[in-house]
Amino acid sequence: MHPRLERLQSLTRRHFLGRGSLGLGALALAEISGSWVEAGPSDGVSSGPSTAASGNPLTPKAPHFAPKAKRVIYLHMSGAPPHLDLLDYKPELVKHDGKDCPEEYIRGKRFAFTSGVPKLLGTRQNFRRVGRAGIWMSDAIRPLHAVADEVTVILSMTTDEFNHAPAELLLFTGFARQGRPSFGSWVCYGLGSESQNLPGFIVLISSGSQPSGGQSCWGSGFLPSVFQGVQCRSKGEPVLYLTDPPGLDRTTRRLGLDALRDLNTLQHQELGHPETATRIAQYELAFRMQLAASEAMDISREPAKVLEAYGAVPGAGTFANNCLLARRLAERGVRFIQLFDWGWDFHGTGPNEDIRDGLIRKGTVTAKAVAALIQDLKARGMLEETLVIWGGEFGRTPFREGRTSQSALLGRDHYPDCFSLMLCGGGIKAGYVHGASDDLGFRVARDKVHVHDLQATLLHCLGLDHTRLTFRFQGRDYRLTDVHGQVVREILA
Amino acid sequence: MKALQSVSGWPTFNGWYLWGCLFVLLIGLGYGHPTYGQQPRPSEARSSDGPSSVDYIRDVRPILSTNCFACHGPDDKTRKGGLRLDVREEALVALSPGKPAESELLRRVSSADLQEVMPPVKTGRRLSPREIEILRRWIAQGAPYAPHWAYRAPTPPAIPQVVAPSHFPIRNPIDAFVLYRLKQEGLTPQPEADRYALARRVALDLTGLPPTPEEAEAFAQDPGPDAYERYVDRLLNQPAFGEHWARFWLDLARYADSAGYADDPPRTIWKYRDYVIASFNANKPFDRFTLEQLAGDLLLEEEGYVPKGQPLNLDEAWRLPPAALDMLIATAFHRNTMTNNEGGTNDEEFRNVAVVDRVNTTFTIWMATSFGCAQCHTHKYDPISQKEYFQVFAFFNNTADADRSDESPVLPLWTEELIQKKQQLQQQIRQLEEQLRGKKPEEMPELRKQLEEVRKQAAAIRPVTTVPIMQELRGPQRRVTRIQHRGNFQDLGEVVSEGTPAVFHPFRPDWPKNRLGFARWLLSPDNPLTARVIANRFWEQIFGTGIVRTSEEFGTQGELPTHPELLDWLALELQKDWNVKRFLKLLVTSSTYRQSARVTPELYERDPDNRLLARGPRVRLTAEMVRDQALFASGLLSRKMYGPSVKPPQPNLGLTAAFGGRIDWETSSGEDRYRRGLYTTWRRSNPYPSMVMFDAPNREVCTVRRGQTNTPLQALVTMNDPVYVEAAQALARLTLQQGGSTLESKARYAFRRCLIRPPSAPELQRLIELYRQARDRFAAEPARAARFATDPLGPLPGGVDPVDAAAWTTVANVLLNLDEMFLKR
Repeated sequence: MHPRLERLQSLTRRHFLGRGSLGLGALALAEISGSWVEAGPSDGVSSGPSTAASGNPLTPKAPHFAPKAKRVIYLHMSGAPPHLDLLDYKPELVKHDGKDCPEEYIRGKRFAFTSGVPKLLGTRQNFRRVGRAGIWMSDAIRPLHAVADEVTVILSMTTDEFNHAPAELLLFTGFARQGRPSFGSWVCYGLGSESQNLPGFIVLISSGSQPSGGQSCWGSGFLPSVFQGVQCRSKGEPVLYLTDPPGLDRTTRRLGLDALRDLNTLQHQELGHPETATRIAQYELAFRMQLAASEAMDISREPAKVLEAYGAVPGAGTFANNCLLARRLAERGVRFIQLFDWGWDFHGTGPNEDIRDGLIRKGTVTAKAVAALIQDLKARGMLEETLVIWGGEFGRTPFREGRTSQSALLGRDHYPDCFSLMLCGGGIKAGYVHGASDDLGFRVARDKVHVHDLQATLLHCLGLDHTRLTFRFQGRDYRLTDVHGQVVREILA
Repeated sequence: MKALQSVSGWPTFNGWYLWGCLFVLLIGLGYGHPTYGQQPRPSEARSSDGPSSVDYIRDVRPILSTNCFACHGPDDKTRKGGLRLDVREEALVALSPGKPAESELLRRVSSADLQEVMPPVKTGRRLSPREIEILRRWIAQGAPYAPHWAYRAPTPPAIPQVVAPSHFPIRNPIDAFVLYRLKQEGLTPQPEADRYALARRVALDLTGLPPTPEEAEAFAQDPGPDAYERYVDRLLNQPAFGEHWARFWLDLARYADSAGYADDPPRTIWKYRDYVIASFNANKPFDRFTLEQLAGDLLLEEEGYVPKGQPLNLDEAWRLPPAALDMLIATAFHRNTMTNNEGGTNDEEFRNVAVVDRVNTTFTIWMATSFGCAQCHTHKYDPISQKEYFQVFAFFNNTADADRSDESPVLPLWTEELIQKKQQLQQQIRQLEEQLRGKKPEEMPELRKQLEEVRKQAAAIRPVTTVPIMQELRGPQRRVTRIQHRGNFQDLGEVVSEGTPAVFHPFRPDWPKNRLGFARWLLSPDNPLTARVIANRFWEQIFGTGIVRTSEEFGTQGELPTHPELLDWLALELQKDWNVKRFLKLLVTSSTYRQSARVTPELYERDPDNRLLARGPRVRLTAEMVRDQALFASGLLSRKMYGPSVKPPQPNLGLTAAFGGRIDWETSSGEDRYRRGLYTTWRRSNPYPSMVMFDAPNREVCTVRRGQTNTPLQALVTMNDPVYVEAAQALARLTLQQGGSTLESKARYAFRRCLIRPPSAPELQRLIELYRQARDRFAAEPARAARFATDPLGPLPGGVDPVDAAAWTTVANVLLNLDEMFLKR
């Protein structure tokens, strides 16, 4: 529901209640004021009294309970990284490489591009134990070895979907079809934005393509559209329409805005609509955002050392640039920073999707930027209040993909039953492995974590109870985790 | 117009008098009007200190529904402890009517024991003291139940007899209902808005465009007593009317120019959009409009255009008369579902998803019922079982489309000229074949070559466009519908046949058990929902908020109507003839609509969203209206109607859709740059960005209500988007050319092109001041001036000073950003 509608509901109710001459009316008023005081922050997200108070839905709101993390940097690898070649080391699979896949693992299952009996495929990557916890990581993500002591690796992730778009929607909206609000929208709805000059939810895309789930991955669904992610670009105009028209200087723009404010004020005086005052404020914010966003998105003034650490090149629009931008935006109070990097669909249908050299090329540049981000956040004292997540929408099969079985390239098919994900920072254990897959990597052997559990856990780190972060739509209270989700307490610091 | 029903004193039937008294007392409990609830108890109602009456529908059911029905409601699969609370007979296990203290229900909801308290602690829900008190009083009153208001057919309400103040004449019954309620609330309506405000407001509401200053002036100066009605009639007859109302319908129909999902390829279906525009302009009765969209293909048989029971050969469909073709095009309504072309997806799975979408969309649009819940399990709040869901599913489960990437079946469409040519060539082919009959190949090689050539020519004639349509499967091709457990298309249960849920009105035996019969069921006068729901949708478009605010949900989880009698009256009025233009005219000619939008702080605090209608509507324009208005004011707007969707300028993103084509597009040339927003190519994965900022949906699914946000990103659009900069430049040039000779006349001219009304003196002065300031700045930097006045519109006309043009462009840019521009005043 629109916050103004919410506001109306509460205001009108309060007013009517106050005017009512029945005992019930008075009782109700007491109850409402009481609950506002008592449950203000916790109810703030579901019934919206704090938005009612300020009128601006993006005003910072208190969470349900004390948070560990203040913000999120979500690094999504669109296409699903081959976790068996990166994080989940399966010596048994290597031993049985090339053998027919045991029937028990494929009976009655659907795969995207594989039918018949595929061959098991052991990793070709070199794995080693790194960090104090001895986390397995392959050399394809070598730069990440240096931050092993900061991260938790979950080896027992599972999802319900084996095609990209539905799996990404499930991951980012809690539901495999379009129409629900995205993770970042829920978080901004629940917590508001800390930055008054930048959007609360920013999306950065690299490697040339949008994620399969499309804009729904950062859409606001049935939440008010102020909560939707704003796509920014590290190349060209950082935010759409941010730049003044050619030929108009800032002074003349300011003169125009002054006139606009004066004329709108006259209108406000005549008709008395508070919405007019809001619009005046929004134009002033837009004016400030023009400077703030340009400044935030300009990495050219970063020291050469920092650029080098990330592998960022000003003006390039790469994942590395976006990682550096993520840190800059986090510093400036952006609540949810969502990165999408294309090119992780390792079917083996081309040299770049081969799980040997192709993966080393993609993995190394990616890992370098991610490791730099984690170290940079730590050095600035921001890691403990910033949640960083790195992963894909599902995993990849322990067997060789059907279509490419005769080719010289090696690839894996989509696999939802078991995959891996890495996270660190705000409220997450440092240097920890959670769950395990079975010997061949087909099934979760222990401590299954469904994507809904992941969502519940991430919200928990932000101080939000996933069962209470709700929004009423079409007569039902909706939430990110739909009707599922358990907080994974074992990975909490 | 039906004459006002004259009743002396208070309306008498249905306990109105008693309710009138009780009503004032009960305001404290919320909006709902008590007519739908149980009958009043006069003794209690009159006494303010005695035990007060609680209404089941208004007060009790929302509490039970929100907190209890998920486990103790209609769904027997999830029912806990065998307790059902939505049916009185079954709930009596936990209720002792008249004896709250002995009722288990009350004991459990107020228990301090964490093991016992209901709802269970883990749900995070807890009843408030007020809610518990409501339940206590309800049980004390005997715990009466009542059927949900929206499931009871509307009855003709008595029209309240109210004394109207002179500034608010009762022009039609809407005013009587609204004024009656205002009096109850101790509020006074506003007087009529001034003529300019009205001229702009009603033009925007009916056509999506402001009037020209000349049209507005003609109306403002019209001394006739029916000047306003005639002005409204003129608007209703403009072609722009159909374009504007098509936009409203296309949101519901989830119309888009792409197929959706990951790669989101282009889809050719614009003929359907044109059908909707033409239907609104022709004032096609809404019932006919419904029948054609849901079952046009079957209607074709019923009306004798094609033989019954035989599949129509779509290659021969061009022989049908235009009216019949329209009926087929209309069925593209349900071909607006998405098609999944992602590699490795199962077509049958996504065909099922499309059918589910058709069922849910149909129920949302016509019945405002969130039917979708019942796909996976029996509905938890409304009595609709999973089996009933799949009985409705069965109506939609037998069309020929099947999530194919070629979108088949598609209907080819031809021009008259092409058809003639086609016929001519076919004639030639027949003649040549005749001549060749019985001849050997080596004989008459010339003729053979000729035949080959003509055949090639005939094959080369392509249709102008195609449109995906619905075609009913026949005989052995028909699919069997089974219940899908948990909504999984591979986990099948019992076979079901076509049917409608028992909670609603019965399906008449003389209706065919197919989509056409189903559409008749929707439109039946026995249906308590459709007329109310549709009347409420039109009301929402005009007044900004529905009489039932949750216009998507009339079920038990929806909100109660603010003016239930008015809603019933409107529903019955609409149902008489389903005449859309007549109905809209009724709304916009009411005194209620014509009020000034002025508001005092007290009234705003009391009723910020104007639910009680003590003032005129002041609602933000839709994304399309914002764009169209700017182009209109600057004289750039093309009035070309219909045809393929266009690609106005949008920023290049340098990205592709996943696995798919480029997101960036080649901008359309000529007037196609300046078409109404309705014609903009709607790509689901990347809808036109500047319209998205103004809450345009992506149209992946049916959108009932758009947001009306007010954000800084919107300010960036209308200040900096080249489309709006171009509009400012064009308005500046018009101002210089047509705005007269003085600064005042120019400023006045530009102002009126945007806001229609004349500016006040301070407004005029402020604009002139800005002009002078900007002129000074640009005079110092003529190169900047030239750039600002011409990029992107192009070179200035001869004799225009770039500095002057740039200064007026600055003024025009401000005018196009005024708060008043974004709102109906």
